[in-house]
Amino acid sequence: MLRYLAKRGVTYVFMIFLTTSAGYFLAVSSLQPALLEQERVPRPTPEQVANSMRLKGLDPDLSPWERYVEWLTGIVTRWDWGRSPNGAYINAEFGDRVWISTRLFLASIVLTLVIGVALGVYSAARQYKFQDRVITSYSYLAYIVPAPIAYFLVQLGAININETVGERIFFVTGISTPGMAPGWEQFVDMLAHYAVPTIAITLVGWGSYQIAQRQYLLDNVNADFVRTARAKGLTRNQAITRHALRVSFIPVAQSIAFTIPAIFAGGFFAEKIFAWPGVGSWSIDAISLQDVNAATATLAYGSVIFALGAILADFATTLVDPRVRVQ
Amino acid sequence: MTNLNAVDPAAVAEEAHLASADVVIAKSTIIFRRFMRNKTAVAGLLIFLALTVFSFVGGFFTPWDKETIDPFNIAVPPSGDHFLGTSQAGIDLYAMTVEGTRISILIGLIVGLVSVLIAAVYGCTMAYFGGKVDKVMLFVLEALIMMPALLVVAVATSGGGDGLRRDLPSWLLLIIVLLVFSWMGTARLIRSLSMSLMQRDYVKAAQYMGVPPRRIVWRHLVPNVGSLLVLDITRGVTAAILAEVAFSFIGIGIKVPDVSLGVLIGGATSQVNTFPWMFWVPLTVMFLLTGSLAMMNDGLRDAFDPSSSSIGSAKKKSK
Repeated sequence: MLRYLAKRGVTYVFMIFLTTSAGYFLAVSSLQPALLEQERVPRPTPEQVANSMRLKGLDPDLSPWERYVEWLTGIVTRWDWGRSPNGAYINAEFGDRVWISTRLFLASIVLTLVIGVALGVYSAARQYKFQDRVITSYSYLAYIVPAPIAYFLVQLGAININETVGERIFFVTGISTPGMAPGWEQFVDMLAHYAVPTIAITLVGWGSYQIAQRQYLLDNVNADFVRTARAKGLTRNQAITRHALRVSFIPVAQSIAFTIPAIFAGGFFAEKIFAWPGVGSWSIDAISLQDVNAATATLAYGSVIFALGAILADFATTLVDPRVRVQ
Repeated sequence: MTNLNAVDPAAVAEEAHLASADVVIAKSTIIFRRFMRNKTAVAGLLIFLALTVFSFVGGFFTPWDKETIDPFNIAVPPSGDHFLGTSQAGIDLYAMTVEGTRISILIGLIVGLVSVLIAAVYGCTMAYFGGKVDKVMLFVLEALIMMPALLVVAVATSGGGDGLRRDLPSWLLLIIVLLVFSWMGTARLIRSLSMSLMQRDYVKAAQYMGVPPRRIVWRHLVPNVGSLLVLDITRGVTAAILAEVAFSFIGIGIKVPDVSLGVLIGGATSQVNTFPWMFWVPLTVMFLLTGSLAMMNDGLRDAFDPSSSSIGSAKKKSK
């Protein structure tokens, strides 16, 4: 098992290296921070701009390949991801933002998975009944709404609730109120900031899991092994939970690999709309500020998240599927 | 939705009749009839067609276009003069909605169709050759999945001065980037499906009989993955429209002066309470568009599925 995971890990490290390098070349050849510098008042001379860029290791006169080698040496020898045009160090900036993003998404990802799979099982067991139709229609509805618009609508709803009650229950933007006393007060403040984004991401996310789980379970409910189990005297529910459920979870576990990066990608929108200064909103800002190193760092982070999701999916499959033998 | 397992006496009779009369119905006729039987799917198709027609001829019904500014009517609600009101710049919202719908449908259709085509060729090639070719191609595919598409879209559409960006309109650039990042999931699916089909007895039999590979692919592989391909086209169209709206909503992707539904929706969010029509009109159009595609999805899948059991439910609808 460990050897298998290690082997996959090596492949993914190689892949991350390739995608990050490709991303660096794309960014370095199309983002030009020097142009933005010239919009300053008073306008600096081109020499001044080039000089300040050179000091930060962003020399615009070097060829992309030379800059790439310099950037890569920095990472390999000192784990230094370079600097932004405004002088900030990527490593320091990155640490804070990753923590904020993780805090925002961890709860939503777990909730999305649990609710999605549970509702999928519930609706499959009541196929074509009223509950099934309501739940499945909702999932299809969630599927045709773009994530940022859904988040925005949830935000509007929260504002409406605040206005109706006449008191601020939910905070629709930001991560915390400055100047709260630590302890209970801070905890309540944190919850109030958490609630809306988490609800929004979960509401949008669970639909695809519900549809997938329902479909796979229905494919298995009439399979021979479930009929055999019923013939042995198990009730329908027992047969489903003991035999069909496990098999139907395998493809869902596989899809986690693709959904974790998808939720991360949706994170760009969530962070932008709820004004959480995480990795997602940082990457968008980095691109509008023509920040090559920050854009590449976020891209690398996205690749790492995908690799983690893929390894997690492999791991989950080996756990639930007795047919998978790991050499 | 039809019950797939129902045994319909009418169907049995019809099939018996067909067998004895030796009448062969053309495959396209069967597909067409099966599709027309699904009321939801037909309704979806009608809505989609209506929107497409609207996006092409809708502009003739108003004297305004998406560039003319009406200085006397800035941010006015819908009226006889401006069917859907005007934006804050004083541009007719109806004209912009027509234009935006056309751009969104265009992006959706091109990306949906071409990406499935790429996926089919790529996936079938992988499955057909197998071995080393398969491994290398799978590696490329997974590396592409790992790239966060949104960042690449943002870099490609909003970097500094570059020749490509100045020459190409932003919607074309967005189509290209979406195409690069939209075919991988389908290709993976097609690969695994055609791999299992290659193991089937009838394919093996055909191989031993000396049927040339190209005929095997057309006769045995394509019809069997066909229903999946069709399903992925409608799904791909929906996904492309959604991606366009999402990207333009947060300000990357389509850039003004080009208009799309995403640009219209995104531009109106900050004044949703003061000028609600600017937000809800393009949003409603987008819902109609993606909703109609979702409604067609199931009907199309059933119509193209060679193992569909929905034949015969024309005379007696069984629920």
